[in-house]
Amino acid sequence: METSDHLPVEYRENSGGLFSLAFKTGLLVFITLGIYRFWQKTRIRKFMWSSARAGGDAFEYTGTGLEKFLGFLIAIVVLAVYLGIVQMILFYFGLSVLAVPTGDYPTPAEIARFMAAFYISIVAVLPLLFYAAYRARRYKMARTRWRGIRFGMEKGAWGYAARAIGYGLLSVVTLGILTPLATFKLEKYMADRSYYGDARFEQGGKWTDLFACLKHVLVGVLLVITGIAAGFAGSNVLSMLMVLVGYIWGTIGLIYYRVHSFAYLTRHKILGQEVLFTSDPSAGKVIKISLLGSLAVGLAAAILLGVLALVTNLVAMQLLFASPGMMIGFGLLVIAAYVLILATLEALSLMIIVQPILAHYVSTISVQNAPALNRIHQRATETGIDAEGFADALDIGGAI
Amino acid sequence: MQAGTSAQFFDGLTAGRHTVHVALSEDRQALMIHADTLPEPLRWPLQDLRALRDDSDEGRLTLTRHALTDDEAPRDPARLVILDPDLIDWMHRTRPGLFRRDLGKGTWLKIGKFLGGATAATLLMLFVILPAMAGTLARVIPIEREVAFGQTVVRQIEGFLGGSIDNNLRCTDADGLAALNAMMVRLTDGQDMHYDITMHVFDHEMVNAFAAPGGQMVVLRGLLDEADSAEEVAAVLAHEIGHIESRDPTRATLRAAGSAGLLTMILGDVTGGAGIAIVLDHVMNASFSREAEAQADAFAHEMLHAADVDVSAMAVFFDKISDLQAIEIPEYLSSHPVTDGRAALARREAQTQGATRPILSESEWQSLKSICD
Repeated sequence: METSDHLPVEYRENSGGLFSLAFKTGLLVFITLGIYRFWQKTRIRKFMWSSARAGGDAFEYTGTGLEKFLGFLIAIVVLAVYLGIVQMILFYFGLSVLAVPTGDYPTPAEIARFMAAFYISIVAVLPLLFYAAYRARRYKMARTRWRGIRFGMEKGAWGYAARAIGYGLLSVVTLGILTPLATFKLEKYMADRSYYGDARFEQGGKWTDLFACLKHVLVGVLLVITGIAAGFAGSNVLSMLMVLVGYIWGTIGLIYYRVHSFAYLTRHKILGQEVLFTSDPSAGKVIKISLLGSLAVGLAAAILLGVLALVTNLVAMQLLFASPGMMIGFGLLVIAAYVLILATLEALSLMIIVQPILAHYVSTISVQNAPALNRIHQRATETGIDAEGFADALDIGGAI
Repeated sequence: MQAGTSAQFFDGLTAGRHTVHVALSEDRQALMIHADTLPEPLRWPLQDLRALRDDSDEGRLTLTRHALTDDEAPRDPARLVILDPDLIDWMHRTRPGLFRRDLGKGTWLKIGKFLGGATAATLLMLFVILPAMAGTLARVIPIEREVAFGQTVVRQIEGFLGGSIDNNLRCTDADGLAALNAMMVRLTDGQDMHYDITMHVFDHEMVNAFAAPGGQMVVLRGLLDEADSAEEVAAVLAHEIGHIESRDPTRATLRAAGSAGLLTMILGDVTGGAGIAIVLDHVMNASFSREAEAQADAFAHEMLHAADVDVSAMAVFFDKISDLQAIEIPEYLSSHPVTDGRAALARREAQTQGATRPILSESEWQSLKSICD
């Protein structure tokens, strides 16, 4: 039984194993024309979850590719019916995203109608995007176990969608100033509905504390504003420099915000009213992994695809007068090589970007007052029929 | 294996960790799990044992049991984590079914149901719900919106056929347009029309004519080339006017817009390019129902009759494009299947006609034929 009061959380990176799994399943995805992607994601999650340990005990992902596939089928039908009806209603009002003004002489009215149809279509999908995001998190929670005990989350996807739209509007209207309110309230909505076994999570803390995490975004915005002001004052070079620096500063500041708001929100979560957490991720490290990783993947892409293009050109010259059979054979070979390269790049980015960042977040967490965990009991299984099909159909699942 | 080794056990009921002693049972048919913290020793039959797949740690084997549960997979919630390399090796060697995926009872039936359901829902939407909705909306849509949309559709079709700003396809020869107008005036004179018909002639070799929503009508040069008399063209126009007056193009376009939205979703086409193509193709090659075609024919008969235009020209044109079929299928034919019945009906109607007069003078007819020159 658990005796130590403090439980370290770690993530043991098995880079080679992850690469070969991602590469192998990536090829299967291509071969099956994309259908295997549900099984691919499931297997990669199983692998990653099993790399994370708390107090030496590994996490377990119990989802199945099949339920993801079936969930996708349901979601696609619901979405197709919904969007079909939305399109017809828009059409009735003289609007249609299908009336792209590509013909001769599009009139301003035509362009306006198209834009209106486009934005209304997006707005019509927006609640579904948030709905899907909540469902996806709930599904992942329901399929995660530690020490044989299930995590879980209550229903509430529509409530989440309504709040996400409300807080989202609020932060847009206030030019982003109320972003911490949105971040905090939405995370609280989800955390307060989360369970480990029969113990409930609770999100503590104050939303105003998140303003501190926003400081670098603020610096970036101020630089851009000063730069624009300097531009009006006539100093063009200085203006451009300041806007550029401000833009980069603000973008990196957003990562800083994400990392530090995650840390704050994790530190202020309580499980079953007694188990506490610490979290101390470094924004610098996350930024470094993202930048270097993207550079490396980009470089690998340039080299591999460049070599393929070169070889293709050279061989194509030789084959100019060859038989059609040989040409087709060569074409298939090029496609196969292209697929291999894409699978390699995907596996590579998983290995050198996604996993290291996940590893960093996970391994900077620790659990306090761990003995209380021993008293937590199992919760009933959840059989959501659509799994995370909506997130898959709307393609908002993210890397994992 | 009889001596056993230590392992970690989670009973699937609480989050407590049990350090247990695992050994093969005396009959060698099961793993025996002993611990002071467990109320009694557990017996896990070997043939029920399953291991977790895709574990990132090769030095660890997590065992569970095959059991019928409500879970996503038929597995006992209890877990036995083995770290002893010898036991792991032994399990791999002697239990070939260790990593088997067991499907729950009726899984294939479920897959079949879902695939069938998805297909059925899509078909129901495409062939029942959307047509019904399109019919209702076409009845209530305000006419000016219909006209605005029809104009957009015609412009897009022009682009679809290869027209551009620099090289538009519109045939605008003044005498030709005058002849076309004369033909239209003669046909619609004294008729109670819902729509103002707007005619477009496109310079394209396709043998085709079609109606777009809101009274827009397009004739392609290929059809004029194929016709040997103005009456044949008039017959085609009268037929298309019949479609327009019964709002067939509006209904078809509405339905196509819905279907395109649905299909692009299923195919995951985010650009919408395929959707536009579907709608345009639908307008140009809309095969309306048999009844709609018969109605448009009847409408054309009446219209030609009232305008003292020889209805048998319709039969002549039908026969001509039927003969063409042997060489190439004209597009007009694929959307307006000519049956002997249709030509015969036109001939019968022609017999009831009294005196007829030519719809265009010879010089007007020549102007129309050269409208694109």
